[in-house]
Amino acid sequence: MKKAIFFLIPVCLSVMSCTKEKTDYEAEINMVVTEHYEFKEAAAINIDDYHISIEALNGTFYKGYNEIRLKISGANTNENINAPAVTFLPVMTNADGSRASCPHRYNLVYNADDKYFPGYAVFTGESGTNETWELYISFTINNQSHSVKQAITVQEQTNKNLNMTTFTGKDSEQYFIALVAPQKPKVAENELVAGIYKFNEPTSPPSGSFPDPSQFSYSEVSDYTLQLDPRMPEPSMGNHSSINNKDLTQQDDGLYHGVVNYTMTGNWTLNFIMLNQNGKILKGTEVPTDFTPGVEGVKSELYIDILF
Amino acid sequence: MVFGILFLGMNANAQNPQAQNDTAKVLEEVKVTALAKKKIQTEMKMAVSVDEFLASSDNISFIKRGAYAWEPLLNNMSTERSTITIDGMHVFGACTDKMDPITSYVESNNLSTIDIKSGQEGSLHGATVAGSIDLKRKSTPFTPEKKYSGAYQTGFEFNNKQFFNLGNLSYSSDKFVVDGSISFRKAGNYYDGNNNEVTHSQYNKFNTSVGLAYKTSPFSAVRVDAIFDKANNVGFPALPMDLWLSRALITSASYKQLFQHGLIRVWDTKVYYNAVEHYMDDTKRPENLVHMDMPGWSTTYGLVSRANLKRGDYSAEIQLNAYNNLSIAEMRMYPQDRSKRTMFAYSWPWVTTKFTSLAMNNSWDISENSRLNLGGSLGYNYNRSKYVEFNWIFHPGTPQEKSRVLPGLHASYQLTVKQFDFSAGAGYGHRAPSVSEGYGYYIYNSFDRYDYIGNPDLKNEISYEANASAGFKNEKMGIEAKANYFYIQNYIIGRILSLGSPMNYQSVGVKGYTSLNHARIFNIALNANYNILQHLHWKGMLTYARATDDKDGNLPFIRPLSYQTSLHFMYKKFGIQTSLNGDFTQRNFSPEYGEDQTPAYMILNVSANYSFNIKNCKIVLQAGAENLLNEYYSTYADWGNIPRMGRNIFTSLKFSF
Repeated sequence: MKKAIFFLIPVCLSVMSCTKEKTDYEAEINMVVTEHYEFKEAAAINIDDYHISIEALNGTFYKGYNEIRLKISGANTNENINAPAVTFLPVMTNADGSRASCPHRYNLVYNADDKYFPGYAVFTGESGTNETWELYISFTINNQSHSVKQAITVQEQTNKNLNMTTFTGKDSEQYFIALVAPQKPKVAENELVAGIYKFNEPTSPPSGSFPDPSQFSYSEVSDYTLQLDPRMPEPSMGNHSSINNKDLTQQDDGLYHGVVNYTMTGNWTLNFIMLNQNGKILKGTEVPTDFTPGVEGVKSELYIDILF
Repeated sequence: MVFGILFLGMNANAQNPQAQNDTAKVLEEVKVTALAKKKIQTEMKMAVSVDEFLASSDNISFIKRGAYAWEPLLNNMSTERSTITIDGMHVFGACTDKMDPITSYVESNNLSTIDIKSGQEGSLHGATVAGSIDLKRKSTPFTPEKKYSGAYQTGFEFNNKQFFNLGNLSYSSDKFVVDGSISFRKAGNYYDGNNNEVTHSQYNKFNTSVGLAYKTSPFSAVRVDAIFDKANNVGFPALPMDLWLSRALITSASYKQLFQHGLIRVWDTKVYYNAVEHYMDDTKRPENLVHMDMPGWSTTYGLVSRANLKRGDYSAEIQLNAYNNLSIAEMRMYPQDRSKRTMFAYSWPWVTTKFTSLAMNNSWDISENSRLNLGGSLGYNYNRSKYVEFNWIFHPGTPQEKSRVLPGLHASYQLTVKQFDFSAGAGYGHRAPSVSEGYGYYIYNSFDRYDYIGNPDLKNEISYEANASAGFKNEKMGIEAKANYFYIQNYIIGRILSLGSPMNYQSVGVKGYTSLNHARIFNIALNANYNILQHLHWKGMLTYARATDDKDGNLPFIRPLSYQTSLHFMYKKFGIQTSLNGDFTQRNFSPEYGEDQTPAYMILNVSANYSFNIKNCKIVLQAGAENLLNEYYSTYADWGNIPRMGRNIFTSLKFSF
């Protein structure tokens, strides 16, 4: 009997330990994508007797969509102050000295419940030798206006689920599409949120002291439709797609909401067709729907690649 | 008889000879009206695999994906519709492609019998539609004197260069029994009837088992058992991938109590645990553009407790089953550029199944020559999908958990009039969808080349069944006809989804498991035997089945008209057998489910054996040929119409003491 038991023990042990480890699915998704929930200070400015704090997710400005929270307090008090006429303008300077901005909210309105000024900026590039970013902020308190500029660093967005794209539409306007959510998609039905912006061409030359906001005007486009066709571009996936996806339409928050289903983790291409409020195609092409194993998936002329 | 074999051992040494006789008598009467085979060997071949042995039964057919691990179909229904158990223990394969039916985790030298019950009669082991297949392990009886017995068998099969060694040894004494077995099989690629090599049809299998029994009192005993099985480098010519490794550990501990008096005669309770792991490998297939890992794990623990009751003309079996299974299967696809990120999904998103059932079979001997059987079962099935988001892709918002109640009822009447016997029966039962049918996600089926999606909201499959048999037997001959008919409501089958696109490289589309309104399956089998001379015996079998869906279309995997006939001649220590078997042309095939018409084939087999004794050792030598005429054929259930083995000369040598 003892012999038999001695024989059994190694057999049991050898089997109880699996040959291949099971995938830790939650860790698997976290490995590629880190989700940021917390707003932390990304820039701080002292001007006159006031202190301005600009918070962003993870305390960092990234290329792409950034929700920001601007707080103004007295230099010696921690009380957040409401102030009328707060403006916010990001400006990028190229190596040749030319300047541009990016989609942003210019006039910030105080949110009394949360005690900050909500805004956003869709940085179109990362800070580097050829590109520097500055924030121009102005506000008025007690009929006295204050203006300040502050250099910031815009970092690369490593999370491809927050990618963005810039293009010129068939109406010759310059458009921006930036992904806002989900930061961390799942193999599931995901609510897909994107911002669609356009550059308002200035109608007159710059005037007044720099910056002239009319030269850097962007707006959220209204009542457009972003048709969605998600596909896996890998040749081995043969143009694989998913079902139950919903096109993106504008909601009350100004952003465009739709639904994307990811059937597995990996590389996906969000193929878009952008229609204006009259249903006219401004950009994007239909992609083939056939299953074509071994052939890299054809992308729409308007697309954003994601990865999770 | 099945129970007799298992229990007699314990009684053989009972102290009170009176009690011994009583119990033995009781047990002989607690006979299951089952189709059970006594020895794991066919008449043609003594060293058969479990699959080959099952194939000789008239209500079993097989889906074959290669030379190894055939999926047994009972009453022409796939394994989801039958319960397959090992000594009543539920074991579930870990492969989403059904490359590892439970029968692949045992070996012929650790089994004593296979107990096949058709339809609801098989509901004792759990909810079923087609019936049950219970693989009974060897267990040596207690003996008054210390005794060793064993057997060693070796052989070589020329077609696929299969070399096998099977050994088993047991020790028995008054109080203590040890059974052990070990086996190795190694086979290369086989050659078809045109002498072409069928690549990726090799296999390697190692199996060992050990059982220890200890008599705790004259009427009680404990027993622990373990089977370890390992298969590696198994080719599946009909699939785009092979098996790198599969392993199973199947363990149990049981307590058995016999009672001399009272209604309850035997009570046997067992707890069990088994773990199965299965890893595919597609790296040996250059045609695969994409490399994909498909590991699967299935872990089950459970309890089975049964009691045999007997009073006067009444006898009954009661069985309580409970098990918990966790099935996990993953897909990881590698992009061409291996440095890039892999793609991942679950094909079984951590699906837990909890099942409990209480079942009872009752028999009344109404008169000397008639008996009424009445039985029923009530089961509770619970499923939970941990990563339910995978299921939500095709079934948005479906609940993560699902409970089902699975009732079953059956009745039959047996009548013997002189040399004739008749039986008629009816049954009603539910079954829950399997893990794949309920929660499968992009499971690639290489038969129809579709990716299959489970549906958690499927209704229970409900079977209404009728069966009848008539037979005649005398000293010279016997003939028996058996038929059964199943009307199955909510019959679960894969239907093409217009939505979605395939994920697996070789697939052509997506199918979702859906319920047909109903399906009908009819099976008939005719068996006959005739003793031509004292030493010359003839046997024949004819089976036919017909199955249609709710639109009177054909269902897939239904065996066409088929036959087996054999002659067996014995003279002194020599034996010669010859058999002929085949299928007629498959007329009722189903293009809708990926089938094409399979032509008729006929296979001739011969074998001869010589047995002699040296001291206490019995030696049997056997040589023979399967498919003697080297026919090139494939059967209706061969995936991808992969040809079967051509002429195969086999030799084998067996020592037993």
